[in-house]
Amino acid sequence: MQKNVNLGSLITGEKAKISQLDTESLPAKFYELGFVPGALVEVKHKAPFHGPICINIIANNTLIALRKSEALRITAERI
Amino acid sequence: MKKKVIALLGNPNVGKTSLFNRLTKLNQKVGNYPGVTVEKREGTLVHQNTKYHIIDLPGTYTLYPNSLDEEVVYDTLSDTKGSYHPDLVVVVAEPATLKRAIVLYQQVREMGLPAIFVLNMVDEMTEKGISIDFDALRRLLRTEIYQTNARTGKGIEELIAGLDNDPSLYISTFQVPAKYAAALVDAKRLFPLAKEYSTWLNLAQENSKVLTADQRAGIVQIRQQYGITPQQLQRDESLVRHEELDRALEQIVIRGENKALTTTAKIDRFLMHPLIGYAIFLGVLLLIFQAIFAWSAPLMDWIDNSFSDLAAYLSAQLPEGPLSSLFTEGIVTGIGGIVIFLPQIVILFIFISFMEETGYMSRVVFLMDRWLRPFGLNGKSVIPLMSGAACAIPAVMSARNIENPKERLLTMLVTPFMTCSARLPIYIVIIGLVIPEGTFLGFNIQGLVLFGLYILGVVSALASAWVLNIFIKSVHKSYLVFEIPTYKMPDWKNVATNVWEKSSGFLIGAGKIILAISIILWVLGNFGPNDRFYDAESYVATEQPSLEGDELETAVASYQLEHSFLGYIGMGIEPIVRPLGYDWKMGIGLISSFAAREVFVGTMAVVYSLGDDVDIEDDGERTTLFERMKNETNRNTGRPAYNFASGISLLLFYAFAMQCMATIAVVKKETGSWKWTLIQLGFMTGIAYLAALVAYQLLK
Ligand SMILES: Nc1nc2c(ncn2[C@@H]2O[C@H](COP(=O)(O)OP(=O)(O)O)[C@@H](O)[C@H]2O)c(=O)[nH]1
Ligand SMILES: [Mg+2]
Repeated sequence: MQKNVNLGSLITGEKAKISQLDTESLPAKFYELGFVPGALVEVKHKAPFHGPICINIIANNTLIALRKSEALRITAERI
Repeated sequence: MKKKVIALLGNPNVGKTSLFNRLTKLNQKVGNYPGVTVEKREGTLVHQNTKYHIIDLPGTYTLYPNSLDEEVVYDTLSDTKGSYHPDLVVVVAEPATLKRAIVLYQQVREMGLPAIFVLNMVDEMTEKGISIDFDALRRLLRTEIYQTNARTGKGIEELIAGLDNDPSLYISTFQVPAKYAAALVDAKRLFPLAKEYSTWLNLAQENSKVLTADQRAGIVQIRQQYGITPQQLQRDESLVRHEELDRALEQIVIRGENKALTTTAKIDRFLMHPLIGYAIFLGVLLLIFQAIFAWSAPLMDWIDNSFSDLAAYLSAQLPEGPLSSLFTEGIVTGIGGIVIFLPQIVILFIFISFMEETGYMSRVVFLMDRWLRPFGLNGKSVIPLMSGAACAIPAVMSARNIENPKERLLTMLVTPFMTCSARLPIYIVIIGLVIPEGTFLGFNIQGLVLFGLYILGVVSALASAWVLNIFIKSVHKSYLVFEIPTYKMPDWKNVATNVWEKSSGFLIGAGKIILAISIILWVLGNFGPNDRFYDAESYVATEQPSLEGDELETAVASYQLEHSFLGYIGMGIEPIVRPLGYDWKMGIGLISSFAAREVFVGTMAVVYSLGDDVDIEDDGERTTLFERMKNETNRNTGRPAYNFASGISLLLFYAFAMQCMATIAVVKKETGSWKWTLIQLGFMTGIAYLAALVAYQLLK
């Protein structure tokens, strides 16, 4: 199985470690919410038909929802 | 008395508004920031000879704006000459996301603003498994730390006392990454007096309003020269700060198991489920719809009756004459027309605040965003759209809860297309007149047409959102990234404050406009340019000498209406409405129903000499009105006034037109702009006219 993927392609229940964000198209808000390189995350819920994705940022213990279009711009390593 | 401006700053959902309510009690007002549709909440607090002017800033995660809301925050903080520039910033945090609040705190201090730090929701620390070494935190932040529980009011006294303190000196800890040092040196020349961090902010801001054109050009030039982008700077600042804070907080914040998250996860297994989640939400929507549609009805009837009783009582007490009529028919009826919406507004906002307070609203956005995004709307738009099917007034108001200003504006602009309950009487009358009875595939044809009109409402709302989305420019890209809070029991005080704020805001803000328009319409209907209006009785007596009693009275009323200003305007606009298949009598109906759609039926009844209190739900009265309308001929065409073509044209006109001054008033209040209100009025009326025109010309 491929190890380096984007956040949008993970399935519910999978965990990953963020490796990189596409800075040019994602605002600083994403960093503040905890999407920083090295952060461990878990996919908690996915809305059907490519709807938003709900992610647990494990270090902060918070749930963050984001659109799939933005999740595609975040690369992560499956663990 | 000393005066001090205080700004509450923090992430969304940390309890800023709850604290604000605690601090200001009800000494607050809600408006818009000048020129933008961002909610401005300000209030006052007097304590020990100091008057504090408190501002509840919109929630934000960074000082780098991605939305109009966040822009307002940065502008307020950075514009040192602005009247809202704070003398003290109160940074509000909650235990689970302490680090994020500290970043904001540091940024504010390094800009040179005095700040204190509030840790709210201290009651949740045990449940969330967090313990904090407050002494160490105080040393790290170099300021007093106040622990509060905005729900119970614990710690508020101490916070109020602390508003007077001046925090100790602050030394910037942010190390500008070495690779930007040279660029920063150049930028400093543009701002010789500014703090180093303010200069950095100017360099890293995409677009800062407080700079002069020269300064902005200078910044752009420096960025080009060094090949750097604002995004890089923002990212690197964020990474540096987080790394540093992770190290600093390691000893200060100890995390154990978060029990709140475990409970939340259990509930979310149902509420966010891809199937069950939608089923539950549909149930909630139906409940809300039922509540505004049905539960409010008895209350509305009661208000309606009380006001007509009051009007009757007053007209009996006051000496007869235009003044008494202005008072009873113009003012009392006008106020009645405002108050009547209160039950629906109160009921809808109890539901909405409940959903916001518990944290369910974030789940709604999560579930619905996918379906509304293609139209430029947001997951939260579903509440205004759905409640628009009962009444557009509370619905438009509920769009306040949408954070993104463009999506909020779009939602408000299209919500009035939804088929509200006021359209129903018109639909019933006209469908009854022009659509044949009978069945189609086992369905009642008249029922099918009515259903089709409801669908038309939804389709036109979404389609116009789609079109407007192309034309309305947004300064900021549409992102959706938000925190999903853990579930909480609602704080009923917040619910009550919210409902109170919405209802009183409606009564005062929209009420003024509604009252003014009702009085204008009353004047137009109660005065005429010549003696045919004032001497109607003798004219009717000569034309129809056989009439007497009630019949004479209604004939006079109808004659007066024809010769009032309203009547003449109806005839004046006849050339405009003739292509739609209407005559001047229907023109009068169109104009007077501008007050509210349901007025159409009453006005038509007066025009057709039936007296204005026709009850559409009473079969006998309805039949009389139907008979009268069926026999009516259009003097332009010589054909029945209500034939299939003109009927369809009328249905379409009412489906699309903004025939409701209360909605106009609310849109004006909520958008804070006449421009958008008039654009909406224009395009709704335009579509209505075109649709009615095409339908009539094709069908006639
Ligand atoms: N348990 C607890 N809940 C709080 C406290 N303060 C606010 N809340 C709740 O947190 C939620 C968000 O509060 P709100 O004032 O709207 O936050 P804002 O977005 O920062 O203005 C609401 O459900 C409040 O009832 C607190 O001290 N303790
Ligand atoms: Mg708030």
